[in-house]
Amino acid sequence: MADEQKPAGSPSPAPSGAGGVNPKAGPAAGAPKTAPPKPAAAAPPKPPAIMAATPWDSELARDLRDRFPDQIGETSTYLGQDFLIAKPDAIISILEYLKLEADFDYLVDITAVDWPKKPERFELVYILYSFAHNRRVRVKTSIADGYRPASAVGVHLTANWLEREVYDMFGIEFAGHPDLRRILLPEEWQGFPLRKEYSIVQQDERWVRENLGIESGQ
Amino acid sequence: MANLLRKIFLADLFQGLWVTFRNQNPKYIYTEQYPAERPKVAERYRGAPRLNINPDNDETLCISCNLCAVACPENLIVVGWERNEQTKRKDLTTFTYDTSRCMFCGLCEDACPVDALELTQDFEMASYTRDGQIWDREMLEHGPAPKAYRS
Amino acid sequence: MPESTFLDSTELVLNMGPQHPSTHGVLRVILKLDGEKVLGTDCVIGYLHRGVEKIAENRTYAQFNPYVDRMDYVAAISNGLGYCLAIEKLLNVEAPPRAQAVRVILTELNRIASHLVWLGTHALDIGAITPVFYCFREREEALKIFENYCGARLTTHAFRIGGLQYETYDGFEKEVLAFCDMFLPKVDEYEELLTNNRIWAGRLKHVGVLNAEECKEYGVTGPVLRAAGVKWDLRKAQPYSGYQQYDFEIPTCENGDTYDRYTVRIEEMRQSARIMRQAVEKLAAGPIMAKVPKVIKPPVGEVYVSIEAPKGELGYYVVSDGTTQPYRVRVRPPSFVNLQALGRMVAGGLVADVVAIIGTLDIVLGEVDR
Repeated sequence: MADEQKPAGSPSPAPSGAGGVNPKAGPAAGAPKTAPPKPAAAAPPKPPAIMAATPWDSELARDLRDRFPDQIGETSTYLGQDFLIAKPDAIISILEYLKLEADFDYLVDITAVDWPKKPERFELVYILYSFAHNRRVRVKTSIADGYRPASAVGVHLTANWLEREVYDMFGIEFAGHPDLRRILLPEEWQGFPLRKEYSIVQQDERWVRENLGIESGQ
Repeated sequence: MANLLRKIFLADLFQGLWVTFRNQNPKYIYTEQYPAERPKVAERYRGAPRLNINPDNDETLCISCNLCAVACPENLIVVGWERNEQTKRKDLTTFTYDTSRCMFCGLCEDACPVDALELTQDFEMASYTRDGQIWDREMLEHGPAPKAYRS
Repeated sequence: MPESTFLDSTELVLNMGPQHPSTHGVLRVILKLDGEKVLGTDCVIGYLHRGVEKIAENRTYAQFNPYVDRMDYVAAISNGLGYCLAIEKLLNVEAPPRAQAVRVILTELNRIASHLVWLGTHALDIGAITPVFYCFREREEALKIFENYCGARLTTHAFRIGGLQYETYDGFEKEVLAFCDMFLPKVDEYEELLTNNRIWAGRLKHVGVLNAEECKEYGVTGPVLRAAGVKWDLRKAQPYSGYQQYDFEIPTCENGDTYDRYTVRIEEMRQSARIMRQAVEKLAAGPIMAKVPKVIKPPVGEVYVSIEAPKGELGYYVVSDGTTQPYRVRVRPPSFVNLQALGRMVAGGLVADVVAIIGTLDIVLGEVDR
C-alpha cells in the first residue's frame, strides 16, 4: 500500500518530492485502510478460497504415479511450479526415488506451514532441484500434531540442519534424525514460535528471567 | 626455473610491496575527520524524520490522514487529531515518532500524500535517555539541533 | 571420531566464538581437538535470531520488505530482490524493463560490495591486513551509489514489489560506469597482492576441500559449488529480472579448495562489472513500476522463488491465504545451508585452517540465524 506508482519516466525526483501539491494526493488519501492498525493481532486465516492449481502433466508425474499409486494424492502445478502431495509415510521413498532415478540430487529446503484449523495441521514441504534437468519440484505432505515423520538425513545430508530448524520452530520431531536438538533457539526454550498460536510478542518468560536476568525482553 | 628464481628473490613479496607503495599516494586518503568535518550525505538520505510546516503561514502540512502510521512496519507513529467543526477537517493535535524503533525504511514518507512527513539529511539523533528518542510534534517540526564541532 | 587419539593423549574441547573476531559475527564453534588436528566440530548458532519469518506473518507484504534487508546485511539489495520477485510471482506481475535493468545494476553492484567484504575479512583472517583497507575503500564507492540512489547505504530497502520506488538520479549511469572503470584495475591490484603470494597460497591451497558430490549432498550453492567444478548459477540456469539478456561467464574451478573459491569470487566480481556495463547500455526510458494494487493482496497460493545471491541460492517460499499479510514466508538462506558443510570441510584439518574455512564459506550470521 506504500507502493505509490510514479508517473512513467518521471525525471528523477528526490524521494521526498519537492514539496507543495503532490499528484498522488488524491488516490492515496482516499485509499481504504485495509491493513489492520495493530499488526500484532494476526490476520485471521481466510478459509474459502483455495489455490487455483492445475494438474501437472509430465513424464515425471506419470512415473511417480505409476511407482507410488496409492501414496501420491495430487500432482499439480501452480504458476509454473510443480508440486505433489503424498502420504507422510511415503516421503522418504519418494525422495529416494527422485534422487536416484530422476536426478533430483539437490534438496533445496525443508520447511513446514502450520494450518491449525485443519485436522492434519502441519504441511511439510520438501523442495528439490535437479541439476541435470534444471527443474524444481516440491514434495508436500500433511501430518497431524505429534506425528513423527521419518528423517530425510539418510537420503540428503543437508536435511540435518533443515529438519532441526523445522523441529525448533514447529515442534515436529523427525524419527531417526541423528541429532535432533534446537538449532536457533536456546536448548531449554519452551514453545515453538512459528506455530500460529504463538503470538509475536510471546516468549519463554522463565528462560529470559533465568538467563538474561531481566523481567521481560519486551 | 623462472619460478625458482622468483621464489629465491621473493618476487611475490616485492610485488605486494609495490602495490602498497603505489597506494601511498595521498589522493587515496578516504578518512573523514568526522566531528570536525561534516560528512556529505546524499540528497535522498533517509535520516531524522521531519514534519514539514508551510513556510507561508507556519501551519503544519499534515492533514492527519494517519496513512504513515498505517504504513509503518514498526507501528511507531501515533497521530492525534480532533475534528474542526468549522472547516470539517481534522486538525493535528499530537504527533509522536519513536526514533528508537525506526529502521528508516522510508515507507512512511512514501505513504504521505502531502509530503508532510519526510526523512531528512540529519543523522545525529543520539540522546541520553530512551525517552529522548521518542520525538513529539515540536521536535519533529524543528529537527534535532546537534552540536557543531570545530577542529 | 577415532576411539583413541594420537599418543593416547586426551581429546581437547576448544570453544571458539561467539565473540571470536574470525567467526564473522556471532558464530560459536565447539572444536574437538587432538593437538592441532580437528576431530570434530559442532556449530552453535542462533545468537542473532530475530524471528524474521514470524515477523513476516504479522506484517503486510509491503511492510515486510525492509526486514529482509536485515538478514544478509552485506547484500541487502539481493535479499530485497528475491523477496520482491517472489511476491511479484505470486501476484503474477513482472517489473517493467527499466526497473529490471536498474535492479540488475544494483544487485551486481551489491554482489561486488559483498565479495569485497568477504575478500577483505578473509584476507584479514589469513593474516594479510592490507587488502581489507583497499576492499573497503572500493566498497565505499559502491555504497555511495546506493546512498545516492535510495538514501541508505547498508539496509537499503531499494526495491518495492512491482518495480522501484525511486527513479535513478542524475548521473547514475555515469557513476556506475565510472565505478566499473575504477574497479577493474583494483581487482588486478588485489590479485597482485594475493594470488602469487606464497603465504596466501600456502594457507589456502588444499584446505577445506569440498568436491562436487559433497557440495550437492550438503546442498551447498554459490561460489563454493562453482569452485568444485559445477557450472551452475541461477542467473543462467533459471534467469530472473532479465539476466538472460546479458552476456557473462560463470567462473568455475576444479579442486574445490579454499584457493579456488578465492579465484572464483575474484572472477565473479569482474563478471559483475561486465553485467553492469551491459545493463547500463540497456537502460531505456520507461515506467519503473508495474501495475500493482496499492494494497497488495495476492490470490491464495504458494510460490518458491530463488535468486543467485552473493552467497548462493537465496530462496523465498511464500504462502498466501488471500489476505494482506503473508501466511508464511520461509527464507532459504544460503549461509545457513553452506555453514552446515563446515564440519565436513574442517574434519581432519588443522585448527588454524578452521578460520580460513569459515572465511571462505562467506557466511553472514544475520542470515544464518535470521
